[in-house]
Amino acid sequence: MSILETKDLSITFGGISALDEVSINVEPGEIVGILGPNGAGKTTLFNVISGFLKSDQGKVILDGEEIQNLFPYERVAAGLARTFQHVKLFRNLTVYENLLVAQHRHLSSGSFAAMLRLPSWRKDEKLAKDLVEKMLDTINLRPWKDARPSELSYGTTRFLELASVLSLKPKILLLDEPASGIQQREVEALGPMLKGIRDETGCAIVLIEHDMGLLFSVSERVYALDFGRLIAEGTPDEVANDDRVLESYLGRTRRDSVA
Amino acid sequence: MSTAVETPEVPEQVIEAPSTVATKKNRRNQIIALGALAALGAVPIPFGDYGFFIGQYAAVYAMLGLSVTIVTGYAGLISLMPYTFAGLGAVMTGLIMTGWGWPFWLAAPMAALATLPVSLVVGMASVRLKTLYLAIATLTFSTALGETFFRWDLVTGGRIGWTVASPQLGPIDFGTDLNFYLLCLLVVLGLVWMTEGLRTSRLGRAMLAVRDNELEAQALGINVYKTKLAAFVLSGMMAGFGGAFLAVLLGNVSPGGYQSPVAEVTSILLVSLVVIGGIDRAWGAFFGAISLVVQSQVFQGARFFFPFFGMYSAFFLILFLLFRPGGLVQVSKITTELVKRRPVFGLAVVLVTVALNLGIAYIFIRAS
Ligand SMILES: Nc1ncnc2c1ncn2[C@@H]1O[C@H](COP(=O)(O)OP(=O)(O)OP(=O)(O)O)[C@@H](O)[C@H]1O
Ligand SMILES: [Mg+2]
Repeated sequence: MSILETKDLSITFGGISALDEVSINVEPGEIVGILGPNGAGKTTLFNVISGFLKSDQGKVILDGEEIQNLFPYERVAAGLARTFQHVKLFRNLTVYENLLVAQHRHLSSGSFAAMLRLPSWRKDEKLAKDLVEKMLDTINLRPWKDARPSELSYGTTRFLELASVLSLKPKILLLDEPASGIQQREVEALGPMLKGIRDETGCAIVLIEHDMGLLFSVSERVYALDFGRLIAEGTPDEVANDDRVLESYLGRTRRDSVA
Repeated sequence: MSTAVETPEVPEQVIEAPSTVATKKNRRNQIIALGALAALGAVPIPFGDYGFFIGQYAAVYAMLGLSVTIVTGYAGLISLMPYTFAGLGAVMTGLIMTGWGWPFWLAAPMAALATLPVSLVVGMASVRLKTLYLAIATLTFSTALGETFFRWDLVTGGRIGWTVASPQLGPIDFGTDLNFYLLCLLVVLGLVWMTEGLRTSRLGRAMLAVRDNELEAQALGINVYKTKLAAFVLSGMMAGFGGAFLAVLLGNVSPGGYQSPVAEVTSILLVSLVVIGGIDRAWGAFFGAISLVVQSQVFQGARFFFPFFGMYSAFFLILFLLFRPGGLVQVSKITTELVKRRPVFGLAVVLVTVALNLGIAYIFIRAS
């Protein structure tokens, strides 16, 4: 059974169709790439899957359960995690604190337990700190643990965001252009890192990426989107040589007038 | 930034953790800070009963300030209701103590609980709103409560209100200024400790996260609405509890004191008190309350300048917002750093500042 399936997702913005009957599926532990020119609807697809946008029609099925009516935080609890195209972090909190916040779903003690320092709070805090300690090493963020996001390089903030969503222990991870704006050296490290994450946690990864080198090297299967529609699906080789995919990248004029 | 994924081993090493984490070192700092605050609590002693009375005022306002710390400092919600909830707690204290004849020790927690249904309903209706819209919604609810709850004669004791007696505990009479001052001080330190504990917890961190970036908070599995609602309700309970002490401090509860516009204006005062003290740390409410009460005393001593107190406070507030957004907590941190790095110079700066302030206050009072 697929870990994630979308069925005929459609959404329009002011008459322009951003997603048009998009159906994809992701198997457990699979790494799937999504490519497409600017404005193709890739981010919109992630927004709909993760619940930040409501589609006009269609279904999102996570691990056999329909989740299209759940709130984003409920989808996280169901095992879905996502990053944003533009890094969003807690700017007033340190790296360590950012990662502590990310342990939210693994904790359970209430406000009065914390105010009175009850054992349930102590247990929670210990668990949270242990998990953060582990993540600091997994993603190599220890040198920056007391820094705030504004003191980090853009690449490091991307890795912090990755560490945050990994802390959710998701069954499937949606990454929106993780390599954009980071140094070449870091891009090269990212591929093996993603594969390592998959191998170690068994979590499936869906990757939107404009860096074709990265996308084709880590993805086992690739979907191509254009104007909100799926135009190709297959192995990296198949999609890279698909006529319609090549055409979609040849600077055709936008179909804005159609709507 | 290499492929660290292959190294899952966690090295056992001692690490220094930041402020939303409770560690040994953090706990030691907290104990030092608590000790310093207790020492601060000894300041009223040379001034006798008058000093204790002012101290009670500061402590009660710090309790009310903590409700702003939770809702605005932690969760980033601008609410103009804290003083209305304090009023609710005060009125309930009057009803329970004077109307029903129950002891203060039951009345205070019940006053806190009494705010719960109100804050829950108001919160559910308003916390989805943002910034100014939320402020206006809470303003509306505060006004509405002033016209309904605070006109409910059966509960409020009518226009005259309730006379509130001082609490007794066995042979101890908290009617004396010293005893009630000590009680207030103990309670406010306890509440500061509790509010600081909230900060280093699942819910407290969720509040800080929501204030910082709602989208990211959602993406990390935080229920933003529930988190805001929890902040609103906890803040209401804190204010209600403080309201019980306010009732005893004032000796009577007249509902008119919690109606528009006094309630809203006082809530704004509480917000500015907490901003000056340091809005996202529990100590901030404590420092802010002391600073406000001391300054208002100086101005009251200086009759000629008294009409300018509001203007002066606003100016003071803007200075802090512009240059020390972390409030007095930030100032004390910077000062501590300075003293640690350059002890002689640092201590000299502290002494000169204190002397300057005392001097200005003295000239102020003599000149009028
Ligand atoms: N919330 C929104 N409101 C209105 N229009 C939107 C919204 N989100 C996306 N769109 C539009 O939908 C289309 C698809 O946008 P989307 O962000 O999904 O593209 P993308 O494939 O992620 O592009 P890029 O590679 O530039 O990130 C665009 O025309 C965009 O302007
Ligand atoms: Mg995009």
